[in-house]
Amino acid sequence: MTLAFLAQQTIERIPFDSPTIDWHAFAPEAILLAWTCLVVVVDMVGLERARRFMPGLTGVGFLLATIPVLTLWNDGATRSLFEGAYVVDRYALALKGLFLISGYVVVLLSTQYMADGDYYDSEYYILLASSVLGMTVMASARDLITIFVALELLSIPAYLLAAWRKRDLKSNEAGLKYMLMGIFASAIMLYGMSLLYGVAGDTRLSVIAEKLTSEGTKPLLTLAALFTIIGFAFKVSAVPFHTWAPDTYEGAPTPLTAFLAVASKAAGFVAMVTIITTAFPGQADVVEPFMWVLSALTMSIGNLIAMRQTNIVRMLAYSGVAQAGYIMAPLAVYSQTGQNGVSAASAIVNYLIIYSAMNLGAFAVVIAAARKTRSGEISSFGGMLNYAPGLTTAMTVFLFSLAGIPPMGGWLAKWQVFSVLLQSESTWGTTLALVAAVNTVLAAFYYLNVAKQMWFMPAPDGDTSRVRVPPSLVAALAITVIATLLSGVTGLVPDITDFGSIALGR
Amino acid sequence: MVDVIVFAVAGLIVLAGGLGVVLNSNPVRSALSLVASFFGVAVLFVLQEAHFLALVQIVVYAGAIVVLFLFVIMLLGVDEVEDLSIEPLSGQRIGGLLAGAALLVFLLGGLFLSGGDEGAVAVTGTESVTQPIDETQPNIDNLATDLFGRNVLAFEATALLLTIATVGAVVLVRNAGAEDLSVDEPGRADH
Repeated sequence: MTLAFLAQQTIERIPFDSPTIDWHAFAPEAILLAWTCLVVVVDMVGLERARRFMPGLTGVGFLLATIPVLTLWNDGATRSLFEGAYVVDRYALALKGLFLISGYVVVLLSTQYMADGDYYDSEYYILLASSVLGMTVMASARDLITIFVALELLSIPAYLLAAWRKRDLKSNEAGLKYMLMGIFASAIMLYGMSLLYGVAGDTRLSVIAEKLTSEGTKPLLTLAALFTIIGFAFKVSAVPFHTWAPDTYEGAPTPLTAFLAVASKAAGFVAMVTIITTAFPGQADVVEPFMWVLSALTMSIGNLIAMRQTNIVRMLAYSGVAQAGYIMAPLAVYSQTGQNGVSAASAIVNYLIIYSAMNLGAFAVVIAAARKTRSGEISSFGGMLNYAPGLTTAMTVFLFSLAGIPPMGGWLAKWQVFSVLLQSESTWGTTLALVAAVNTVLAAFYYLNVAKQMWFMPAPDGDTSRVRVPPSLVAALAITVIATLLSGVTGLVPDITDFGSIALGR
Repeated sequence: MVDVIVFAVAGLIVLAGGLGVVLNSNPVRSALSLVASFFGVAVLFVLQEAHFLALVQIVVYAGAIVVLFLFVIMLLGVDEVEDLSIEPLSGQRIGGLLAGAALLVFLLGGLFLSGGDEGAVAVTGTESVTQPIDETQPNIDNLATDLFGRNVLAFEATALLLTIATVGAVVLVRNAGAEDLSVDEPGRADH
């Protein structure tokens, strides 16, 4: 019997319908993947000559992939691929847009930083693009396997990039800590997911939701739900799973820190929101109190530690922890508010968009300032008004926004979270809103402290030579300032409230 | 009845192997205990009629991956007994033990309390709800249909993931400080 004959036999025996793929729905990922391959080839052929075109080339890839996101958004139809395992709706599209634009801004932040240092920068951009690809897949994933693979695809490049300053021990520590903690979290999450699969017998979230609802609340389901959520809690650095964040943020190359603090965290939230609202609509009595405790702890402890920081990157790291607390707050009442958690999900997505703009902006200022001061201490920002008025104004916009002062975007984000919490008209929601309000006041203290340094304090050592801000950073600052102000002043955030029917499996 | 006995024996092997990994102070023995544990898991797969997975478990995990572990352990020269009497963080070991015990109670409690009457999620040793997808077809056919049908996206993403991990690992471990850097990569050393 020849091999060909055997193959013939097999082909006849297995009925196989190749899955129909809606290429328009899949276009953002397809373009980004193809472009990443192109960047790899250009790097391979051009070697050293191609090096300086890498950031531009990668940036163009992100922008090209945004085009189909816009056409799909205009189209407005909810598209479902792979028997409901991959759904492209407005919720997914808003997030894909967010990830691609954040990726573009991170490329802008990295351009000068990478060119100045002794790094392998072609590989840096390729890994960055792959990580963003993982995030865009995550936005659409409605299936445990796809979610897990997307999570690894976005995390593994990030682990590697955190250690990219190879000769710096702090960067090695950053990469190692991030990887070990990340793997630990993945293991816990996989255990939860395997329990979910064991109970439901299917990996699609919509099917799991049906099965879980008929099973009622069993201790096993509680375990499964909590373990799965804990995995993502590590990713978004929620207290008490946040310990890796400050060390990793401080040691990693600063543009990458911005990426971790914004895009990577947003992707973790996306997975959390998708799983909780889609797969656990019937487990609210278990998930909601858990999220309440997680959210209250995260915002309070994050803020308290942030106040004591003297290094700006560590302060932004802890402030990011605290912000994660506000972002996850709507999940503590998701079943009690409009349309089965859709309004909670919508508040979270809008918060993520505004948070990304203001936090990336703050990091852009830190990177620009560090080119002169060579220091990450908050005191080194003293007197910046005199020699860098533009940077000072931009930073003030971001800090006010992070603190939630109108008319900056951060205000709108917080307002949406508070309104969801209060809409629930439950004791849980109201008390969490109170905790968040107290924390907002606490947070204003350390955000405004940085602003005070910049506006009123003298420059350390009286050094008032100007800061040279490279054009790529100017572009990044322009994008983030405009996004922060525009969302706050006009209230312009994407409306994703038609996120529903298919995504929620009913 | 036979099922339950096989389940119990295989489960014991898995547990003993797992304990061996943690408790052995010699990393080589730990790796070998891992092999035992993997074999136990393979038997459990057979019990669930997932014959292909059982085979893969042995060929890939017990065969390839652990051998790789052993290579790494022996090449790095850490095949000696570590001094475990020093506790880097005081109270760490007690704390770890307590946390582990609490988790065990929590998990076992969860599993046993979930038994219920229909027994779908109880610990009985019977087949799980995820039986072979289609009894008339061999497992491997079903796996292939599933992998290249509904899960083809995750499958392709995994391919990318492995490539990325390799690229990153090579970049991170290559010795950039060496003088002869410019030999295989002209220009890099200039920066």
